[in-house]
Formats: sequence, structure tokens, C-alpha cells
Amino acid sequence: MLAKLIVYCAYYLKSADWYRSAKLFFYDLLENSHSRKKKYFDATMIGLLILSVIFLIYDIEHEDSKMGGYFELAILMVFIVEYCLRGWIYSDTYKVIIEEYEKALYLNLDFNLLGVFRKAFVRDIEYITSPFAIIDILAILPSYRPLAILRIFIIFRLFKLFRYSNSAKLFADALASKRFELMTLLIFTCFLVFIASVSIYMFEYQALGSGIHNLFDAFYWTIVTLATVGFGDITPQTTGGRWVTIFLILASLGVLSFFTSILIAAFSEKMLSMRESRTYAELERYDSFIIICGFGRVGQEIARHLHGERQKFVIIDRVPARVVLAKQRGYLAIESDASNNEVLLNAGICRGATAILCITGDDVINVYITLTSRHLNKNLRIISRANRHDNVNKLYQAGADNVIRPFEIAGLLAAEFVGQPVAFEAISGILHNQTEIVMESVLVSEKSPLDNQQIGQLDLQQRKLTLLGVISDNPIHLKHKNKYQVKQQHFYFNPEADFILRHGDMLVLLGRKYGIDHFRDQVEQRRLFSRKPK
Amino acid sequence: MKTIAVFGYNRLSFEAISRLDKELFQITVIDHDPAKATLARENGFETANIDFRSDDDLKLIGIGAHIDTLFCFFDTDSENVFLTLSARALDKELNIVAIVDSPESAEKLLAAGANKIIDPYEICGRKIHDMLKRPDIHDLFDHTVFGRHDLHLAEVAIPENSYLENAHVAQLQLSSQYNLILIGIVNKQVSEQLHFVVEEFDRRLSVGDILVILGPSREIRAFKKDVENEFCKI
Repeated sequence: MLAKLIVYCAYYLKSADWYRSAKLFFYDLLENSHSRKKKYFDATMIGLLILSVIFLIYDIEHEDSKMGGYFELAILMVFIVEYCLRGWIYSDTYKVIIEEYEKALYLNLDFNLLGVFRKAFVRDIEYITSPFAIIDILAILPSYRPLAILRIFIIFRLFKLFRYSNSAKLFADALASKRFELMTLLIFTCFLVFIASVSIYMFEYQALGSGIHNLFDAFYWTIVTLATVGFGDITPQTTGGRWVTIFLILASLGVLSFFTSILIAAFSEKMLSMRESRTYAELERYDSFIIICGFGRVGQEIARHLHGERQKFVIIDRVPARVVLAKQRGYLAIESDASNNEVLLNAGICRGATAILCITGDDVINVYITLTSRHLNKNLRIISRANRHDNVNKLYQAGADNVIRPFEIAGLLAAEFVGQPVAFEAISGILHNQTEIVMESVLVSEKSPLDNQQIGQLDLQQRKLTLLGVISDNPIHLKHKNKYQVKQQHFYFNPEADFILRHGDMLVLLGRKYGIDHFRDQVEQRRLFSRKPK
Repeated sequence: MKTIAVFGYNRLSFEAISRLDKELFQITVIDHDPAKATLARENGFETANIDFRSDDDLKLIGIGAHIDTLFCFFDTDSENVFLTLSARALDKELNIVAIVDSPESAEKLLAAGANKIIDPYEICGRKIHDMLKRPDIHDLFDHTVFGRHDLHLAEVAIPENSYLENAHVAQLQLSSQYNLILIGIVNKQVSEQLHFVVEEFDRRLSVGDILVILGPSREIRAFKKDVENEFCKI
């Protein structure tokens, strides 16, 4: 009967929206490192912790301040609630119950309530014995007045900072990664301390004027000497004792240097990955960016332009020197192989990337990255570079939207330059925004005043704009001459004055930047204005 | 007929040569790598077997004489700089186009006397950037002016005694008369700068002005013919 009730409760919780949303809320608050709530929560907790330690220090001199007592109690409550909530999030008791129940149903066994409880309990123990939970408990326990001796442990609350600050966590992780080396060192040090303490104790216990009266004194002296601190309050008096000292000092130099080198190695290793994770963390904040694979000359040129326009992008390159260069210029860069699925996923190919540029100097790699990216994201814009002519089709097959051939473009431009240098300079200046004159497109949107208007009525001359033509996929225009196929659309060059614009058409205009912008703004304003009366 | 000497046979020079009109340009390919020179011959280009380091050899193929344009398309910047320097010393009027591999070399090439520097990587980078930022216009130009469609950019100089001399820009009416779009006017004697046509409607054309126009090749030819014809009237 009881078992049935419990199983019923478990199913109820599983289906209850409020329960799930509450759990999700607290998960975001306490554990989800990507959520904003956790950031605020962590900051508050750090503040509380520091305050509580300040009160502890204040309490030492002012025995019974009332305010301090209340505050202490409040902080304690917060800590206890936090501890319980973390436990609650950690263990999903109802899931364990349902799982066991369904297993029992399936296998036609009796539903064993005790076994379930044991499992749930094991999970609780797991939580209680996790290092962070122990620190939490250490922060709570000392407040219990009868355990006054534990008051000193309130200082342990500061360890809780580890929970709320990522950098502190990283240091702990760095140490943990060198567990084996540290363990070896610890064992060796224990031996050393034991041997040195016992020998100094043997030599000095009966010596006149020696400060060593018991084993603890010997231990204390050993540690002071081992750490190369050497207070000098206890000094060896016998020759034997001095030999022990010499031996201990020499050995301790080795121990210390070993210890330091382990720490340095651990931190420098961790620093690398930390920098990388910072890059990823920064990427996560962007919602539209471009992935550039390969930071050679072409990549550098693109990055320079994009950087100037404040467009977000990330660079992936295998060559460490190039990544260093990219970072020096203030770009986000990942040193990795872009043909790896995981690298691209981490870089956000399915999350925020709008385009990927495969522009390494090696066609094999470009094809591979193109294929990988297309496989991962069907809608991504992929622009690839083909260094050899025969690879263009392979890149298109691999899923590239555009393929660019640097040497052929350069050759083409050289030929154009020889043929018509003046015209060429003029148009390339316009195309590359090197002059004040630019070429831009203006879209005829639905309900725009341009819709259904004749080109002759636009009065473009008065606005100091030149119309080169209209891009459109509207079949209604097909009867006009001078049309050129551009992908799925047509470009109508030099349209006649009676060419009627339809929505979806795009005017290609030549003019000063502000002239075109002004025209576009006016059109947009009139569109909005004309809609109002409805 | 212009004569062009192309030094260095590679993808870039192949593309450049194949873009040039064989009837208007006489092209000679030179490469000191015998394998590449053979390849160029196999592809049907006229080749010359000379050492570009020797001034006598350069004179032999006509630099300082009948060659108008020089393409320095070697793979290494140092060779291009050397060639540019030698050629410029032989002929002050030569039109030298050089490619550059690393950006620092651009200045050196200009100092050595090159007229035009082409940086393939920079061009490629700019093009990709353009693809990202203005895909419509980029596609448009790729397919028309730089592509297979018959829409070309041309420059037409106004000769002496042309009917266009002293005409107003506004009078030209190129778009209705010829199906051409006038983009701008450059006068080399005054400056290299392009005067954008819409802002200069009341400008009077003078001898030496170069009109930059865009349109189908038939219309361009017709216009050029009329410009050179003294007796044609608007």
C-alpha cells in the first residue's frame, strides 16, 4: 500500500509542470554555468561569504553583538537552504523509484521498496561525500553553538568561494590534474618527515639545552626545517642532530623544487585550455558570426575587413604561429584542425555561425572542411577557395555555395587592366569602396511607394543616382530586353523609363553612399507613413 | 596591336592570357623553367627562351622597342622586383604589371617602377568579403562584367574634332540612344580621379576626356565608331 502511494507520487512528480520548472529554475540558478541567473547568484553568495567572515573577525573583539548574531543566523539559513537544494537537484529520487518500478513490472518481480530506498540513499551519500558538499557542510557546522571549538572552521567558508568563482575552480582542477605526481611527492615527504623527526628525537631528547622534549617538538622542528623556514627556536645541539639537519635541509631543497615545478607545470597546462575555453565562452555570446578556416594571406585580408566593420568572426588554424598572430591582432582564434567535427561544433557551426570560409592553401583540406560543414549544417553559407581549377567542381559537390579561385581572379584583373586601365580602375574603386561612389542595391518591398511605379517617375537624376539596372526573379519582367541571367534571377540592364517595378525587385544604384542611404530611408519612411491611415 | 611579354608561366598568367583578345594583343611567354616553357608552347602560346637576368636578352625580345606591356608573373617577389627594375631602366614608357606574394614587396615593386601591383591574396580576400557583405552586387558583376555575359566595361577617349567636344554631359543621352550607361569621366591630364557623371551634368566635354561606359559590346562598338566619326551629329 505504502509502495503504491510512493510510486504514485513519483509518477505525479514526473508529470507535474511546476515541479519540472522549479527544478529547472534551481538548476539554472545553482549549476548551469551558462545561465545568467547563476552569475548573479554566485556574486551574491561571494558577498555573503565575505560579510560573514568580516563578522567573525568583528566578533572576536566584540563578544556579543546582537546584529552580528542575527546576520549570522540569516547567512546560516541561506547556506542550509542552498545545501538542501543542491542535494535535491543532485538526486532524482522519483526517477530512481519509477525506474525500479518499471523494471520490476517488466521482469514480473515484486517491487522492492527497500532496495529503491537503498539506491536513493547511495546517491545521497554520493552527494554528501563530494568535495564541494563537504566544504558546504564545513561552512554550516561551525555555527552550531555547542560546537564552539569549531568556530575557527568558519574560516573554511572561504573555501566555498571555489564554488562561485571559475578561476578558483580552475586552480583546483590544475592541482587535481597532477594528482599522481603530488601523491608521490606527499608519500616521499611523509617518509622524510617521519625519518627526520624520529632521528632528531633520538639524538636530541637527552641532550642538554635542546628544545626537543617530546615527539611533537621533533615533528614541529622537522616541518620548520623542511620548509626552509628555520625559526631557530629549536636548534640541534649534538653532532648527530646536526648531521640529521644537514641531511634534512638537502632533501627538503629537492622536495620543494619538485613541488614548485609540479605546480608550475600544472598551471601552465591549464592556462592554455583556459584561454581556449575563454574563446569558446566569448563565441557563445555572439549570435551571428563567421568562421574563417585558415589564416593565411587571404584569411588575414578578410579578417581585416570584417574587423573594421565590427562583424564578429572566429579563426581556426592549425599553425600555432598564425593563431598567435591572429590573437595579437585582437581576433578570436582557435588553434585546431577545422576538419574535425568537434572543433566546428565547438566553434558554433550549428548555433550562431552564418557562414564558413574554407580558405586554406590546400584544396584537399578545403574540400574536407566544406564537406564536414555541409554535413553538420544544411543551411550554412559556405565559401571555399580552390587553388587548382580541377577542384572547383569537387568543392561544389562537397556543398560549397561559392567557390573562389584566387589566381584566376588575379589573372582576370590583370587582363582587364591591360585592356582598359581607366575603366578598370574606376570600377574596381567603386566595387571595393575605395572611392566615395558606391554601388548598392535597394529592395522594393511590399507596400513600398516604389511598388508598381515606373522607373521614369523615380527622379533618380535629381537625387544624383545612376540606375544600372534591376535584379528580379519576377517573370512579369521577362518581356523586357537586355536581360542577363544571374543565378536564379535576371538582371535587367539599363531598363526603359516605362519599366514598372514590382515588389521583390532590387534596384542597383550607383551614387554617393549618403545619397543612396537617403533614398532608401525616404522610401522606407514613406512606406511606413502610407500604412498608418489604415 | 599591342605586344605583351609575360614572364613566368603559371595559373595566373594562363588565366590572364586566355582573357586577352588574341586579335588585339600579341603575347610572348617567357619562363626560365624549361618544363613550364614547354607547357606554354604545348598550350599554343608563343614562347621565347631567354634569361631575364641579362639586359641584352631583354632587349632581344623587344623590351625598350616594340613591347608595350610587361607582366611580371614570377612566383618569387625578388625575381619580379629584379625584372621590373631592369625593364624600367630599358624603357621609361613601358606599362609594367607585377604580382606580389608578400605585402611588403608591393612598395619595393612600386619603387622599382611597376605601374600596377596585383596581390592575388588581397583580391581574393576582398572578393570573399564582398560575397559576404553584398552578395547581390557581387553575383551581378561576377556573371556580367567579369563573366560570360555580354555586358562590358569600356573606355572611350574623345578625339580632336569630335562632335562630342564642348557637348554637355546631359546632352549625351547614352542610355536611350545607345543602351549604354555612362559611369564617369576621367581626364588624365588633370588627374586620375573619376568624375562621377551624375554630379557633373553641366560639365562640358573636352579633348582628352575618357568616358567610362557600361553596356553590351555591340553598342559599345557603335558608340566608339560614332565618336571617331567627325561628321556625325547628335
